[in-house]
Amino acid sequence: MADSASTLRLRAAAASSWKGPVLVGIVALAVLAVCSVALPTFLVNNLIRAFLYAAVALTVDLLWGYTGILTFGQSAFFGIGAYAAGLIFTHAGFSLPLAAAALAAGIGVAWVVSRAVGWLAFYHGASPLYASVVTLVLPIVLVQGIYSGGEFTGSSSGLSGFDSFDIPLEAWFFIAGALLVLLAVTAWMFVRSDAGRLLVAIRENEARCEYLGIDVSRYKARLMDTCAVIAAFAGFLFACVQMVVAPEYAGFVFGTELVIWVALGGRGSLIGPIVGAISIDVGSAYLSGNLPYIWTLLVGVAFVTVIVAMPRGLAPLVAAAARQALPRRRRAAPVPVSFAVAQPRDGGGAGNAGPALSVRDVRKHFGSLKVLDGISFDAHAGELLSIIGPNGAGKSTLMRCIADGAERSGGTVEIGGKGIRTLAPYDCVALGIGRKFQTATVFESLSVAEALRIARYRIAPPSRWKRETTLELPQPALDVLRLTGLDRIPERECRYLSHGQKQALELAMVLALEPRTVLLDEPTAGLTKQERTQIGDIFVTLTSRYRMCLLLVEHDLEFVQQISSRIVVLHQGRIVMDGGVDEVVNSELVRAVYAGETHAAANHTEGDA
Amino acid sequence: MLNLGLDVVTTAAILFIVSAGLLMVFGVMKIINFSHGAFLTTGGYASVIVAHAGLSWWWSVPCALAIGFLLGMAVERFIVRPLYARPLDAILATWGLGIIVGQIITLMFGRGVQMVASPVDGAIQLAGGQYSAYRLILVAVALLVALALGWLLNGTRLGLQTRAVIMNEALARGLGISSSRVRFMTFCIGAALASAAGCLITPLASVDPNMGVPWIVGAFMLVLVSGSSLVSLAVASLVLGGAQVLVSTFVNPVLGGLTIAVLAALLLRIRPEGFARG
Repeated sequence: MADSASTLRLRAAAASSWKGPVLVGIVALAVLAVCSVALPTFLVNNLIRAFLYAAVALTVDLLWGYTGILTFGQSAFFGIGAYAAGLIFTHAGFSLPLAAAALAAGIGVAWVVSRAVGWLAFYHGASPLYASVVTLVLPIVLVQGIYSGGEFTGSSSGLSGFDSFDIPLEAWFFIAGALLVLLAVTAWMFVRSDAGRLLVAIRENEARCEYLGIDVSRYKARLMDTCAVIAAFAGFLFACVQMVVAPEYAGFVFGTELVIWVALGGRGSLIGPIVGAISIDVGSAYLSGNLPYIWTLLVGVAFVTVIVAMPRGLAPLVAAAARQALPRRRRAAPVPVSFAVAQPRDGGGAGNAGPALSVRDVRKHFGSLKVLDGISFDAHAGELLSIIGPNGAGKSTLMRCIADGAERSGGTVEIGGKGIRTLAPYDCVALGIGRKFQTATVFESLSVAEALRIARYRIAPPSRWKRETTLELPQPALDVLRLTGLDRIPERECRYLSHGQKQALELAMVLALEPRTVLLDEPTAGLTKQERTQIGDIFVTLTSRYRMCLLLVEHDLEFVQQISSRIVVLHQGRIVMDGGVDEVVNSELVRAVYAGETHAAANHTEGDA
Repeated sequence: MLNLGLDVVTTAAILFIVSAGLLMVFGVMKIINFSHGAFLTTGGYASVIVAHAGLSWWWSVPCALAIGFLLGMAVERFIVRPLYARPLDAILATWGLGIIVGQIITLMFGRGVQMVASPVDGAIQLAGGQYSAYRLILVAVALLVALALGWLLNGTRLGLQTRAVIMNEALARGLGISSSRVRFMTFCIGAALASAAGCLITPLASVDPNMGVPWIVGAFMLVLVSGSSLVSLAVASLVLGGAQVLVSTFVNPVLGGLTIAVLAALLLRIRPEGFARG
């Protein structure tokens, strides 16, 4: 019945989005082939190195520019790849099988080290600064290790004079260039794909991602593993071409240089870091001889200026200038994309007689301050349970304790009959809970449709290589979109939405998780009267038609009275009342609590429910 | 044994002096000032300038303080202030500033190593052993720095405001405290302290355009495990500095150089607040 109604047209990049990148890649390879014979040897030599640096810079860009992990450690993985080749070729000699072994060793060691770094740096609740600290320590430790290796690692002077592949410079030029092109095209397809938008989502709002059921730490760690392997591969090629390895290539200063190139070129764009790395590295080769310290000084000044005044780097500026200068081209015709109804999954929860949510003796204290003190209640499917109470009663804390297993200090929480133990938010989501935050949290630079697709990430993993033309959403989420008109603007970036639209979008994202229990923390804060009525109707529909269990924290008693099926009153961390709407709203106790009168009255009726 | 104990104490004192300025800035502004190394270098060259001018070495301390303070004023205004909302970018911009300062110093003084005569020569006889007199003086200096900062934070109006900003910046602003002025002063004092520290370590190390760089990471890690407390910094300097001395002496000096960074990184993983509140 609803299928036909929910088909909508919206702009999207062509489904065949791989055509563009692949075409550009083929052209780039052709240019490389021509350049390898046309360019002077000195330049070819420098470009080989610059291409490999640019490949590593690209991984820094994926980690930092796209995902927001500021890393100083990609140099270490480059160094690992280079030293794997240098050590094996120096001590065991050069042969094809040995070269393959060296490559395997470099990649293997880089992967293992990256796993260790990921374990240290990415865990639920880790600060972004800490991840940077770990990536800062890594190259320092590695370089000290190389120093103390004595003759084996060549200490501070490195290793040189080993044999390597006997192929001409032009061939190396093509190989290094092809690696860079391949990497850039693959990265391009990935970041533009539906799955690739998650990188940006993580950068913009990690907490929201976790509460959408995505294990962000794991994702970051896997991304770092991939980038480590790529950097090690570039390092291996570097050692093979240059036939010299030195501690500087693994060091922290090289790590910061990579970041500088990415920042200058334009973080979060792929072409920016490539151009940045190549032009600065080749520029140094030509200019640092003539202007020994001035060149570095100029790069430093440019770097600081860009960070302070143009955080997105030079790429957007160039792009804007190009758009001005070139005749306006028509954008590719939008391909119709439809929202469709997702088949309801057989959760088996709806038919269960047990409570959707069961909270038993939940406590939370900060030191000696008790914020929640023995909270117990059940909530059933089809129920709209409102939690009211004055500021500081512990309402939001209670929400947190239900949605994040690590929050509470004592007691048990069961979602659909399963205990949440100390599960992280993304695992709680898997149990069937969805949480809407107090302030609308969306992904500022994603579009409405992209944000919703991120919300579906856990249930329907999106494609890594293209953009799908349909987005399947459960009926309740589609209802919210239609009622609020968001379905007509799926391409609009979230930052341009009104406050009410952001609230609605976040609600739709939570509903896209197909939760059976939804936590709503002041969902009407800052909404107009009309929007409030609208959202109230939605809540009633969710409970009556879709048999969801809604837990609502609200201040507005009138609103609560209109839509709730039951009300719990929280005061100073305890439940002081739990009952029907009229009973609670008309009670002396609630008036006393809200007027801030003595809690003698509160204690007096305790356990009344 | 006595020597080892003195090594631990003097190493901790040096680490404390070098990190104190960074701690001030991190505690109040929640920003890692990676140009700290550049300020150390600047302080080192202040003593070179003083030596060229033919003045006594001791003049270089006030001179370094003044240069650091002035430089800090400019840096806060033009680089740090626009980046309060972007702490990771502030790390990068201040690192870039370090590059700029390093290059300017190279252009002015050349790349080579400058030697500065030590103000206090020789060793002190101690219970049958000998120990460097200057390192012992640094212990007293560290105590002096701690007392001065303690007085500044707890005994002055600016200190009161600063503590208010550390605890709750929004509330402090609501009470009419100009948090941007507090930050400005904090950064300038932090920069002056760094510069003075750079000048104080010159008798132990040579002066060159990159002399600050090796100190940054250690100081940075110490500050991260100390939060915003001077007491925690003293504890951290003593514990991690002590570990560094022990590892360098009994295991291997290269590993010793890594001790602070590695231990601090592991400590932060297990206990994100580090030595603070403990």
